[in-house]
Amino acid sequence: MAQAAWEKPIAAGANSAADKAREALMSRAGRGAIRRKFLLAGGLILGVVAALIITGTLTGAQYFMTVDALLADPTLVGQSVRISGAVIGETIRVASINPDGEEITTITFTIAHIPDQFASLEQALHDAVYNPDATRLDVYYEGPRPDLLQNEAQAIMTGTLGEDGVFYASELLLKCPSRFQEGGSDPELGQTSAGGL
Amino acid sequence: MGIALADIGLAALFLAFAAAIYAVIVSILAAQKHSDAMTISARNAALASFPLMIVSVGALWIALLTEQYQINYVRSTTDPLTPTFYRVTALWGSQEGSLLFWSLIMAGFVAAALVINWKRERRLMPYVIAYSMATLAFFLGLSLIYENPFERVWLVNNPEQGTTEVVDTLLIPPDARPPDADRLQANARGLNPLLRHFGMIIHPPMLYLGFVGFTIPFAFAMAALASGDLSANWIKATRRWTLVAWLFLSLGLILGGRWAYDVLGWGGYWGWDPVENAAFLPWLIGTAFLHSVMIQEKRGMLKVWNMVLIIFTFSAVMFGTFATRSGLIESVHSFARSEIGLPMFVFWSGITLVSVVMLIWRWSQGRLREEHHNTRLLSRESMFVLNNVIFVLLALAIFWGSFGAPILSELLADTEITLGTAYFMQVTPPLFLAMYILMGVAPVTAWGATHVARLGRALLIPAIGVIALLAFLIITGTTQPAALIGYSAVSLAGFVAVYEIFRGTTARMRARNESALQAAIALFTRSRRRYGGYIVHLGITLIGIGVIGSTVFQEQRERTLDIGEVMPVAYGYEMRFDGYASGLFADDGRVMDIAEVTVIRAGRELGTLRPRIDRFPDGMNMTIAGARSTLENDFYVLLWPTGDTTGITFRVYVNPLVNLIWWGGLVLIAGTMISAWPNEAAAVRVRERAAIGAQMRATS
Repeated sequence: MAQAAWEKPIAAGANSAADKAREALMSRAGRGAIRRKFLLAGGLILGVVAALIITGTLTGAQYFMTVDALLADPTLVGQSVRISGAVIGETIRVASINPDGEEITTITFTIAHIPDQFASLEQALHDAVYNPDATRLDVYYEGPRPDLLQNEAQAIMTGTLGEDGVFYASELLLKCPSRFQEGGSDPELGQTSAGGL
Repeated sequence: MGIALADIGLAALFLAFAAAIYAVIVSILAAQKHSDAMTISARNAALASFPLMIVSVGALWIALLTEQYQINYVRSTTDPLTPTFYRVTALWGSQEGSLLFWSLIMAGFVAAALVINWKRERRLMPYVIAYSMATLAFFLGLSLIYENPFERVWLVNNPEQGTTEVVDTLLIPPDARPPDADRLQANARGLNPLLRHFGMIIHPPMLYLGFVGFTIPFAFAMAALASGDLSANWIKATRRWTLVAWLFLSLGLILGGRWAYDVLGWGGYWGWDPVENAAFLPWLIGTAFLHSVMIQEKRGMLKVWNMVLIIFTFSAVMFGTFATRSGLIESVHSFARSEIGLPMFVFWSGITLVSVVMLIWRWSQGRLREEHHNTRLLSRESMFVLNNVIFVLLALAIFWGSFGAPILSELLADTEITLGTAYFMQVTPPLFLAMYILMGVAPVTAWGATHVARLGRALLIPAIGVIALLAFLIITGTTQPAALIGYSAVSLAGFVAVYEIFRGTTARMRARNESALQAAIALFTRSRRRYGGYIVHLGITLIGIGVIGSTVFQEQRERTLDIGEVMPVAYGYEMRFDGYASGLFADDGRVMDIAEVTVIRAGRELGTLRPRIDRFPDGMNMTIAGARSTLENDFYVLLWPTGDTTGITFRVYVNPLVNLIWWGGLVLIAGTMISAWPNEAAAVRVRERAAIGAQMRATS
């Protein structure tokens, strides 16, 4: 039996006569029954995957919002959200705690609100950091100090706002737009070398 | 020199664009008028775009290598300290260069496809040229108008105000002079340090080759719809192209994972980041396509479905390119926000819409009828359909998680909802599990129909293998249900592949009295596609084992150590901190902090590792892991920058079986190459068939 099955690659149409005969033999009702079976099986699979996606979406959903929007809505305290803000460099503190033998690095810093719409991310970050009226939010994060955590970086974080008003971040992603800036050439190029800076 | 280079590059780019536009227009006219001369003219223009792109890309490459800092692209991706090696890779280090490079690859692929298929698929050619050249023209247009890598900086005197203005232009403005050379040098930014890694040298080109490669089967499919030649010709003509594109895309994904693992310093290789997912989507749909075309070739079934799959593979390629390059999504490795978002969106949605409309048009004409109907739930055909459904559902689930939910919520609810890793780790494992089970069951299911008893017999020996593996795992202390279920499904696919190869070999040995080696070689040369496919399945099995091992059993420790101190890790490993040096200068200007640690297991010193932190002159840091790799696991240690604590902090990961992922990648390459290798006998058959066809046409 097993040996008979090994040479399976069949040329197109090699056993199509047999197939045609079998298909011809099938009554319309028979084909309808097959179709129902396929539809049922397909529906079942779709149902299971849809349920997976829906429950996954409900458990995994994080709202992406600004600092102002987060602080304006008290119902969001304790909920998983994703926020973005400008890192204020001088507030970055790194420490090490040792609760039960396992060493943990903790980072605290403050972010400033960046508005929803802006022309240049770099400018928006700069303005946010040096605007005394921009809303600020303290952040607590356990983990290594990311390479890009520095003044005027954009912090994109997942976490929850605690009742103490501190944002407890579980994920921390940083972007420094100035590094990869596109745009015009530096006006400095216009000066002659002798003129110097 | 710099001026001339930029001018040559720009001129060649413009001519390539003009040639592509010409090819589109003339090929459409040729199709309308059934004019052979016009088709040839369109082909020649299409072929000409390739050498023109070589000139254009060559000019940029030479500019990078010879430090022509007046060209803005050169200044933004290299600086005087950049080693030659990274001057070469700087070509795809930023948006403008990588778009140009992308167009070069596309022009090359199209030229090759036109030359190879010219005689055999003459009827499809005008349409193939029109579709592929329209795509190329679009990308060349983007390079010309929005992301031109040949833009230069000039100083122009403003006599009215008596000042000098700095101007960025493509063409030399009147009364302009270049800035001082040393100013330009001082202003050069250098390649993003994250891109300085061997994985980055080949990861982007591989991915581009994969992406661009799918243009060819797509163009042929559209040509089939447009011309009305809806036989399996377009599939036969593009089978190898699809395999090649798929191979490059697979390699691009694996190398990307390797890069992340080595450079991003978080102990993992896949983060469900939108950009990664964007590249994974065409792979999933393309894999479904690769399987389902076999059904059309062998049984004349799934004609509409195959069209749907290739349209959406290409659409996913375009969408991924759009999402990555437009700044649509927040991601670690998306390109900067850019103006090309809108044109790319229009092109992507336009080409998808046109394709779908064409498909519906032919379908409603009844031109895509099935030659056979599936009559049994338990048949090879049904298994292939099920496999397709799983791949497409995976793609949909991943699309929804990465793009659907965030975009829809932003449009409808004015707040962006993102789905994190938790979503993907909940939704995808059951689907991957189903994929592996089908990989095991489908190859032993007969065409047409099979019975449960027969299928059971065919699966008996592989199933015994799975049970033996499970028993071994449980005895050796693996009890996590997730791992046991995962290993069962994955290993079933592997055992079936090995067993099928074994069965084929022994059957030949018996029937033809050949030695095991002779039989195996004959098996692989005679049915390359089938047995190459089994090797690919083996590669995917190894990758699956590696992913389960490194996900479920990863161990992680973090501690601050003084010199001489030993830290226990996991799996019997210990690590001793031997020394530390900071502020070491490297040739390219970076400053390195390096620690030296010794890995110890069962009292034996296994080796020395040097995790380090590279600090680049522009303020960017990179954490480079020290890793000791064995097939069993990786000992992966990172120097942890913690700021103001005393002592040196390390984070150590033990990643079991992670190397199987890279080895699986190599097996996958071998298998795909076996499948795609040109078959002399088949080529002769095709030529004969073409000759007969031509005779028949001539006589009718």
